[in-house]
Parts: sequence; structure tokens; C-alpha cells
Amino acid sequence: MTAPPAAIEAHQGEGEDAIHPAPTRFLRRYVFSTDHKVIGRQFLFLGLVFLAVGGVMAMLIRWQLARPGVPVPILGRVLYGRSGGVISPVAYTALFTMHGTIMIFFAVTPILIGGFGNFLVPLLIGARDMAFPRLNMISFWTMAASTSVLTASFFVPLGTANAGWTAYATLSTTIGTPGVGQTMWVVAIYLNGSASVMGAVNYITTVIRLRAPGMTYMRMPITVWGFFLTSVLNALFVPVLAAGMVLLFFDRVFGTQFFIAGSTIRGGGDPILYQHLFWLFGHPEVYILILPAWGVVTDLLAFFARKPAFGYRVTVGALIAIVVLSSVVYGHHMFTTGMSPLLGESFMVLTMIISVPTALLFLNWLGTLWRGAMRLTTPMLFCVGLVFTFGIGGLTGLFLADIVADMYLHDTYFVVGHFHLIMAAALLLSSFAAVYFWFPKMFGRMMSERLGKLHFWPTFVALNLVFIGQLLLGYAGMQRRLYDPSVYDFLRPLLPLNRFISDTAYLLGAAQLVFVVNFFWSLFRGKPAEPNPWQVGTLEWTVPSPPPHHNFDRLPTVVRGPHELGSPEARARGKDWLAQDEIVEIVESAEESR
Amino acid sequence: MIARADRRQVDGLVGLAIFLGATTMLFAGLLLAYAVLRAQAIAWPPPGTPPFPTAAAGAVGLLLVGASVALRAARPGVALACGAAFLAGQIGLWRHLVAAHLGPGAGPLGDVFFALTGFHALHVAAGLVVLVAARARRPRLATIYWDFVLAVWLVIYVAVCLT
Repeated sequence: MTAPPAAIEAHQGEGEDAIHPAPTRFLRRYVFSTDHKVIGRQFLFLGLVFLAVGGVMAMLIRWQLARPGVPVPILGRVLYGRSGGVISPVAYTALFTMHGTIMIFFAVTPILIGGFGNFLVPLLIGARDMAFPRLNMISFWTMAASTSVLTASFFVPLGTANAGWTAYATLSTTIGTPGVGQTMWVVAIYLNGSASVMGAVNYITTVIRLRAPGMTYMRMPITVWGFFLTSVLNALFVPVLAAGMVLLFFDRVFGTQFFIAGSTIRGGGDPILYQHLFWLFGHPEVYILILPAWGVVTDLLAFFARKPAFGYRVTVGALIAIVVLSSVVYGHHMFTTGMSPLLGESFMVLTMIISVPTALLFLNWLGTLWRGAMRLTTPMLFCVGLVFTFGIGGLTGLFLADIVADMYLHDTYFVVGHFHLIMAAALLLSSFAAVYFWFPKMFGRMMSERLGKLHFWPTFVALNLVFIGQLLLGYAGMQRRLYDPSVYDFLRPLLPLNRFISDTAYLLGAAQLVFVVNFFWSLFRGKPAEPNPWQVGTLEWTVPSPPPHHNFDRLPTVVRGPHELGSPEARARGKDWLAQDEIVEIVESAEESR
Repeated sequence: MIARADRRQVDGLVGLAIFLGATTMLFAGLLLAYAVLRAQAIAWPPPGTPPFPTAAAGAVGLLLVGASVALRAARPGVALACGAAFLAGQIGLWRHLVAAHLGPGAGPLGDVFFALTGFHALHVAAGLVVLVAARARRPRLATIYWDFVLAVWLVIYVAVCLT
């Protein structure tokens, strides 16, 4: 796999395929690195740490809902010593605020987009690095600064942010949350968004400019399409959230009144304006998060069904259609704000139209699986699990898109169950699939399959029980963000269901320990990985595991699509896959056809 | 074969275009907020708002025009001076506005003007950093960025001060 030094030297100074030597100093190599592979790992570790933090918060929330007012065992003494281990109402609002914030902005975004996006995009399109390696490094350190501000907000007077992850005004202005913690939250989200936009600039430019010769758009792995389209949405809509954050910052710090209702004569702000700015970003954000997951799953289903992805072009078209539609449906989050019924209806119809390309995508997954030579490896199990939970999550979205149903379901646990089935279940499952699948390429070692399966089954079953249970809670009328449901007579019969959900959630949390053990054990003691352990054809598997600093000794020339699995051409060579840059000798295939 | 420098130049243009697109969306978001506030007011500027120093604000903005012209004439030093003078002028203008009860918190017009121009000034400050740090290597990108900053200022000025 390694070219002779002379060949490498010959490449130096020849345009973009110039090979730079790997930095030798520790700081430049592992900390302030400009290597997309190192930055990808940095994002991954940062995301996994915050995933654990957000997960513990979820456990605490579930404790309060199942056993309101009972001291939290073990953790309670450390975190809530002053109240004897009981989660106070203020602590509870901070918990669900930060659980949402951390999971969305500091766990899923860094893991999937920052981590895998960085690691995979250049490797999958046959490039040596991102288009702007230094900007890439700044993006990571902006994200790191953002996490520092967020973490610091826990330790200021009046505590951290309390206004929910959506931070609706007026609650998020100094009227509702006077502490400096909420202001720090605003700054953290702004920095986080800046990091995302820097990443987007890099990913889009890289995909447009640095594809290897022959890597046409229609030969890119769907994973790359996912990251590419996500970046388009990031570049367009994260800035709208940033605008909201700028104005909220002005309201909180400089005393302006953008989001605080004024008097009729003097004029003034509008709290609903915040919701518009937030959801203009917020709905595309759902797709920002899920598009990479869809991309990964589309590829992995094909890889492990040993078939080309069914309807590649239709899938790409569906993804593009979803991206376009996702920018014009945000009003469905605001049906209850008293918007004009005509406007509400158009948002409803547009939202429902999204289910058409989504259904196409879903059918293509089933088409890929249909009569495939399935290999039920751990990554494949997680992908199939995603297909199931995303199916339920997607269908429940239709209820919420419908104005009449939404009037009843709005702000209940039905909404919580719905977006957790998509955001938590589907994204978590795809993140795990990606970790199990690319771990050998990232770290040069295989993860344990046995522990992987031991991780999958309880995770999959518990996830569905927890979030489908939440759908039931919501249908029964339990509101979200409720500190203590037992104070309402009509919610008291739901306590056994709440207990069941919480106990299942603890099982879910415990199952993640298997992953942690597997991750670290494999990192140091796992079986050394071959270059291509899964026997697939995308470009990252044509280089050693882990890839050298310059990725490719010689930039590949791509001759076919990403899912060339089980084709007669490959079988003629005694295997069932062809690498994207593998030249099949004409003579050989001519002999075969005889 | 296309030289590496040319290819990097195109990479830079593509990247800058995406970045400016993103920044446009940010200012579009801010202008949307302004539009909503203004549409909901019974009169604009709201009754009781002191007269706004439109001419002074415009005069400060001329310095940005100067910066763009200087960059086109390949005089980065002059552009740097114009940019710095613009920032100084903006700070002077803001102080005057606060004294004239047109500051942030005094009324919707002041709120809007401060949020929009304040955030714009941050981009001018970033432009100064760009001029110092990157101009030697990428004069073309720096020029485009400064033109963009000028264009945003014009839109803000026309939207807030002239209409």
C-alpha cells in the first residue's frame, strides 16, 4: 500500500496532490492539528463526552418524573446536596434545558457532523485533506470554546440556562431568566453555530473542488451527499439562529426590546418574533442532524446487504427535495401561536409533502434490503434498528403536522416521544452504526462484535419502549417540561407508566456502559484491523487503517459508483465487491464472457 | 496543467462565496426582525422618537466607500485607515445617539440601529484583521469581503435611516 519514497517525492509540489509531511511536534500533531482525521477524532471524543453528560441528565429527569420529590441515590448527594438530594424545580428546568441543548448542539452535532464529517468527507471523495485545513482547526477550537462557556455557565450565580433548549422569549429574556447563565448559553450557542458554519464552508468547498478524478456527483457515496446537503442547510439557516441569538444578547445585555412586548404607542418588540427566527433555523436543524444519518444508513444497508443501494438517483433526488422543502415548513412548530389559519394550512400541506420524498427514501432502504445477502454485523444491526425507529418516528410526525391533531398534542409528551424517536433513537443508532463501522479505519483496530451485539439489543428494545411510552403519555395529555405530574389528578394514573419508562431508561443508560467498555477496550486491545475488514469498495477502504497523514499515496481515479457489490464483474475476480478505483482488465472480463 | 496557486484561488473564492452567503442570511435575519418590529408599530419612527442624525450616519459610511475604492486601487494602507476611521466614527455616532435618547433601550428605532450597525461593525473589525493578516496573500478575497461589508452597510443605511 505504501508507495516508494521516490514516488512520493515525485508528487511533491504537483498541485493539490502535493504531500506534506506529518508534523512531528506533539502540539501540532494531536492538539492544534490541521489534519482532518485528527480533527474528526477530536470532535468525536468531545461529542461522546457530552453524550454521556446529556445522558446522565436524562436519567435525572426520568428519576424526577417517576419518583417526584424522592432524593436521587448517589448522584443526588453530589449534585443536590443543599436540597438533600431532591431535584428542585429550578434544577429540573435547568436539567431539561441543558439536556436538550447538550444533546443537540454538543453531542450529536460534533459526533456526526464534526467527527464523521471531518474524518470521512476527504477520504470518501479521494482528497488529501479539507479545502481549508486551518479553518477546520479553528472550527474545532471554536466549538471547544463554546463548550467551555456552556460548562462555565453551571457555576455562575443563579445557575445555568433555564428557558428550555428552544429558549423562547419572554422566558429567555432577563424578565424570565435574570442570571448570567442564560446569557452565557446565548454566547455558547452563537459560538457553536459559528463552528458549524465554518465546517459548512469547508465541507461544501471540499466536495465541490476536491473530488478525485472520476468522482462525479453521482458516484459519491450517499454519506458524502448527506454531509454535503447538511452543510448547505447549515450555511443557510444556522446564521438565522445566530441572528436570533444576537438580538437576544442585545435584549439581555444592552436593554433593547426586540423580544419583549412594548406599548401600543411607543412600539416595541414581539416575543413571537423569536419563535420565527428560532424555527426558521430549528426546522432545517432537524434535517441538518438527520441527513448525515440517512447518508450513513443508505450506504451501510447496501454494504451489508451486499447489493448496490436501491435507486441511488432517486435517493439523491429525495434528499435534495427534502432539503428544499425543509426550509419552508417551519411554521408547523407554531400552530398554537395564533397564526392566520390560511398560513397554518399552507405550512401543514408543505409539511405533509415532505413525507413524499421521505417515503421514497424509506422505500429505497427496503428495496436495498429486499433479497439481499444480509450480513448482520453490529453496524448493520444498528442500521436496521434505525429503519424501524425512524419509521415510527416519521409516522408520528404526520400527526403533529396536522393542525387539528397538533392543537391537542402540542407541548405534550407526544412531541417529546416523536422527536426523541427521530433525534435520539434514529440519530443515536446511526451514530453507533458509524462508530462500529468506521472505528477500524479511525483507530486501526476492530471493535468487539460480541460486545457490540450485547450493546445493540438492550439499546434497541429500551429506546423504543421509552419513546413509544412517551407517545402514550402525551396522548393521555401529560404536558412536557412538567416538574411533578403527580400534582394533577388526571395525570396521577400515569405514574406506573412513568415508572416503567424510567426503569427502562435506566436499562438504556446501563447498556451504554457496554459501549464505553467496548470502545476503550478495542482502542487499546482490539484486533488489529486490515485495510478493508468489511469488504466494501468506497475509497477510504483502499488505504491502510488508520490512513497515513496524506491519505492517499497516489490520488485515486474513480471508475464506478460506491456500491459495486455482488456484480458479475466482481465475481469474475473471485470476490463480491469492487473498489471505486479498481481497474478491471478488459482482457480478463472478455475471457469471462466467453 | 493549472498552477496550484490558481486552483487555491478558486477554492478560496468558492469558500468565500459560501461564507458570504451565510453572513447574508444572518443580516437577513436581523433585517427580518426590523421589518416585523416596524410593521407592528402604529407609526415609524414611533411617536416621541427624537430626530435621527441621518446625514452624520451617512457621512461615517462614506469612509467604507473610501476603503473599497482604496483596495481597488491597491492601496491597502489607505483602506486600513478608512476602515479604522469608520469604526471610530461609528463609536462617536453611538455615543451621540445614547446622549440624544436614541440609544439601545430608549425605543425601537435606537434598538434596531444599534443591533444592526453594532453587528455590522464587528464585521468591519474582522475585515481589518483580514487586511492585516491575509491581504498580502489574497488581495482579491480581501477586496470582495470589503465590498460585501460596504453593501451590507448600504442596505442597513437605506432600510433604517432613509425609508
